[in-house]
Amino acid sequence: MKYDVIIIGGGITGTAIAHELAKFQLKTILLEGGTDIAVAATKQNGGVIHPGYDPHPGTLKAKLNPPGARMYPDLSKKLGFHIRHTGTLVVAYSDQDLKKVDELMENARVNGVEGVEKLNAQQLQAREPHINKKALGALLANTTVMVDPFEVAIAFMENAMDNGVELGLCQKVRKITKRGKEDFVLYTEDKEYETRFIVNAAGVHADDVAAMAGIHEYKMQGRHGNLCVLDKVIPIHTVMFPCPGPDTKGIALIPTVSGNCLIGSTATMREDKYDVTNDAHGIEELIEGAKLLIPDFDAKSVIRTFAGQRPVALDNGNDFYIKESDTVKGFIHAAGIQSPGIASAPAIAEYVRDLLANAGLDIKEKADYDPYRQPIPDFSEMTLEEQDAMIKQDSRWGKIVCRCETVPEGEIVAAIHRTLGATTVEGVKRRTRAGMGRCQSGFCQYKVMQILSRELGIPEEEVLFEEKGAQVLFGKLKGMR
Amino acid sequence: MKTLKYDVVVIGGGPAGLAAALKARETVEKVAVLERNDELGGILNQCIHSGFGLHVFKEELTGPEYAQRFVDKTAETDIACYLNTMVIDITKDKQIVAMTEEGMQIFEAGAIVLAMGCRERTRGQIKIPGTRPAGIFTAGLAQRYVNLENFRPGSRVVILGSGDIGLIMARRLTLEGIKVMGVYELMPYANGLYRNIKNCLDDFGIPLHLSTTVTKIIGSQRIQAVEVSAVDDNLQPIPGTEEIVPCDTLLLSIGLIPENELSKKAGVELNPATNGPKVDNSLETSVEGIFACGNVLHVHDLVDQVTQEAQDAGQFAAAYVNNKKKVSAEQEEKDKAISVVPEGLVRYTVPSEIYPEKTPVVKIKFRVGRPENSGKILVTAGDQVLFESKKARKFVPSIMESVNIKADMLKSSCQEIKVTVKSEVD
Repeated sequence: MKYDVIIIGGGITGTAIAHELAKFQLKTILLEGGTDIAVAATKQNGGVIHPGYDPHPGTLKAKLNPPGARMYPDLSKKLGFHIRHTGTLVVAYSDQDLKKVDELMENARVNGVEGVEKLNAQQLQAREPHINKKALGALLANTTVMVDPFEVAIAFMENAMDNGVELGLCQKVRKITKRGKEDFVLYTEDKEYETRFIVNAAGVHADDVAAMAGIHEYKMQGRHGNLCVLDKVIPIHTVMFPCPGPDTKGIALIPTVSGNCLIGSTATMREDKYDVTNDAHGIEELIEGAKLLIPDFDAKSVIRTFAGQRPVALDNGNDFYIKESDTVKGFIHAAGIQSPGIASAPAIAEYVRDLLANAGLDIKEKADYDPYRQPIPDFSEMTLEEQDAMIKQDSRWGKIVCRCETVPEGEIVAAIHRTLGATTVEGVKRRTRAGMGRCQSGFCQYKVMQILSRELGIPEEEVLFEEKGAQVLFGKLKGMR
Repeated sequence: MKTLKYDVVVIGGGPAGLAAALKARETVEKVAVLERNDELGGILNQCIHSGFGLHVFKEELTGPEYAQRFVDKTAETDIACYLNTMVIDITKDKQIVAMTEEGMQIFEAGAIVLAMGCRERTRGQIKIPGTRPAGIFTAGLAQRYVNLENFRPGSRVVILGSGDIGLIMARRLTLEGIKVMGVYELMPYANGLYRNIKNCLDDFGIPLHLSTTVTKIIGSQRIQAVEVSAVDDNLQPIPGTEEIVPCDTLLLSIGLIPENELSKKAGVELNPATNGPKVDNSLETSVEGIFACGNVLHVHDLVDQVTQEAQDAGQFAAAYVNNKKKVSAEQEEKDKAISVVPEGLVRYTVPSEIYPEKTPVVKIKFRVGRPENSGKILVTAGDQVLFESKKARKFVPSIMESVNIKADMLKSSCQEIKVTVKSEVD
C-alpha cells in the first residue's frame, strides 16, 4: 500500500499536520510508536498558547507563533476542545526586569502581537491580588489562552481520521529505505509502508529518524522540565511568568482549562532522551518559583508532579528546524519544536503543507472535508437540566466513576467508543479526566479497569496502564485463570 | 426533577453515616442516607481482617461483619437508603443536588450530617521523585483489588508508610504469596497501631525501616525498583545512604485526608490541622444545621470511635431539627462560644469551640504531634484546671486521645480553654 505522505510522530506537531493534510485529496498515515497519541512532550508541558511576544523577530518561531496562537479560538470551536482565556503576565521585580518588559513589548509589536500592554504595580495588584508585593509592574498579554495539549492533539487526530487520514499506533519506525528514485519504504516491527513524502515530527527522536534516511543535518537533545499540578484551590486567573532568562521563560504559575494550576517548568539539558524523571531539586525549584510569584503559596496543594523534554535542535539558535532535507528530496523535517511549539502547531502545519507542495506534492482540496468534530460530552460542564436529560437517555451517565472530577460511566464509555478511542487507563484519563483529580485514581481506577475490560472485550489483567507490556494487574488471585 | 424532603439527610453510607442515621431516626421521622457506591458499609467492606468492634460490641469482628450489623439495623427501620447516589452540591440552606441512575435528584434537609469519610494521600502530595510507571497504588486501592476484585497487584512489593492500611496489606499480600520487601517509614516511629506492627509485620518477618523513605521511583513502563534513603532529624534524605530495592509494585500508606470538597461548597469552614470541618461540642459545623462525624471530620484510629462520634452527631442533628420546630433562639447561643485551643504537643482538638448549653458533657478528642514518653493531659480555662490526668503515661500521634469535661464547670466569663499534654520529664 502506497501513501502520499507518512507523518512520523503523534505529538501536537504531527497531529496538527495530519489535521491540515486531511483537507486535501491525499493518502496520508500518521505512525506513532506509543499505544496512544500525545504520550511524550505533548502531554508533558504547561499548555500555554503563548501569543508570540517572546520569539526574536526574524526567527521561524517569530514567524509561526503569532499566527498559530491566533488560530486556537476558532479551532477550539470547530474541534470541540476546551480553551480558557487567561492572558499572561510577565512580572518584573527590578529595573532590569522592567527593561526586559519593554524589550518584550517591542518584540510583540514587531511580531504583530496585539493586546499587549504594560501594567504598573498598582494595576498588577488589582488584577492579581495575591501577587508578590515586591513586583514593580508587568507585561500583560491579553490574548493568551490555555489548552490541554493532549486534548488538542486528540481533537486534531480524530478530525483527521474522520476525514480519511489513517493512524498506526504501536508503529515505531525502525528503518527507512529508498525504493526507486522517489519513494521511501518505512519499516516498523510488524509492517512496512511505502510513501512519496515523509514528514518527520518525531520530537526529541527526530535526528534518529532522519539518520535512518541517511540525513545528519542536526542533532536533537531534550531540555528537561519538571512540572507540578495543584489542586483547584489556587486563587489566580492569569498565567504568570517572571521575566525570562536566555533559554527559558522561567517558573510560571499556570491556571489550566480544568481549574487546576500548574507550576512549570525547570529547564536543564539532558543527554538521555528518555529521561522524563522528576528530580527532588527541580521540584524544590518549582515551589520556590511559585512562592516568588505568590508568597502565600502552599506546597500542600500539589497533587501530582510530572516531567517532560522539550525537543531542542542543537546549534540552531534555539529555533524550530522546519524544512525539506538538503540532501534527501521528499523528506520534510518538522523538528526542534520546543516552546512555543503548542502555540505554533497550527501554523507549523500550514507551513509544512506548503513545503510539501513546493517539494512536488500535488494538493487538491477535498470537496467533502468536514472541519467539525463532536467532543466527548463533558458531564461536569452541563447544566442540571442537561445532566438530568443525559441520564434519562442513558442511565450510565448517572453512575459516578471519578468523584473528584465528576466523571460518570457514560462519559468513559463514550471516550472508549470513538474514532480515536481510549484503550488504556491513562488514555481514559486524558480524554475524560477520570483519575486526574486530587485522589489521583485511588477511588476510581478499579472501576475504570472494569469498564475498559468490558468495553474492549479483554480480561482486566490485560488492561494497560499506558505503554505496551505494562499492565496494571498481574492476573487473578484465585479461581479460574 | 422532583424534590425530596427529609428531616435529616446523611451523606455517606459507611459506618459513620449509618450510625448517625440510626441515632437520628430515634427522634425524628424522616431520615435518608445518600451513598455513592452500590452498597452500604463504605470502606469496611474491603477490610476483611478482624479487630473491629471490641469497644462497641465487646467482640472481635471483621470489617464486613461490623458494617453488616449496621446495615441490618438500618434495614429494620424506614430510613431511606439511596445507593449509587453521588452528591455533587450542597447549599447553605441545606439543599442537596445528587446524581442517580434515574436522573438528577434534589433533596431538602432539615439538618445534614456529613459522613463522606476520607481519601488516601498520594504520591503527588509527597512529591516522590523519579518516573511515573505502572505499579504504584495507594494501599487502599490495592486492598480493593485483592479483597474484592480478586486481582494480584504485583509480585514483589515495597510499602511506603506505616499507616494501618499499609501494615494490614503487608500481611494480606504475604498470605497471597506476594513478596513484601519491606515497610519504609519516614518518621522515627511507626504510624500504625502497635497491634498491627506486631501481628502484620513481626509475625511474618517483614522488616520495618524507620527514618527511611523512598527517594526515587525507577522503571519506565512498570516500576522496577525504588531508591530508599535514610533521613535526618529534619526528615531530609541523607546523601550516601541510598539503597536500591528491586520491586514491581509500590504501595503507599502515607496518611488519610478527610474529603471535604462538598463541605466547602456548602460554605463549611475547615480546620487546617485536621482538614475536617471546624465543629462545636454538638458536632455542628460553621454552617447552621450541618453536622459532621467520622473520618470526614478527623481521621480516627478505630471504627468503634467513629460509631460513637456518629451517634452523637445523629442525635445532635435530630435535636436541631426538633428544636428548630419549637424555638429559634439559636443566634443568641452562637455569641457565647468558648474556643478550644490546642497547645504544645497537642496538634488539634475536636471540637474547636464549645457552647456550654448545647451538651451537658463536652467530649474533647485530640492527637499529639509527636511522641511523648511521659506526659499528662491538662485542660485549663485561665487559672482554673478543668482536667488533669492522675498518672503520667506515653502519648503517640497514632493514638487519638479523649477527655470529657462537664459543661457546668465552664464559667460564663470563660472565653477559651487550653488543651495540652504536659511533659513530666521537664
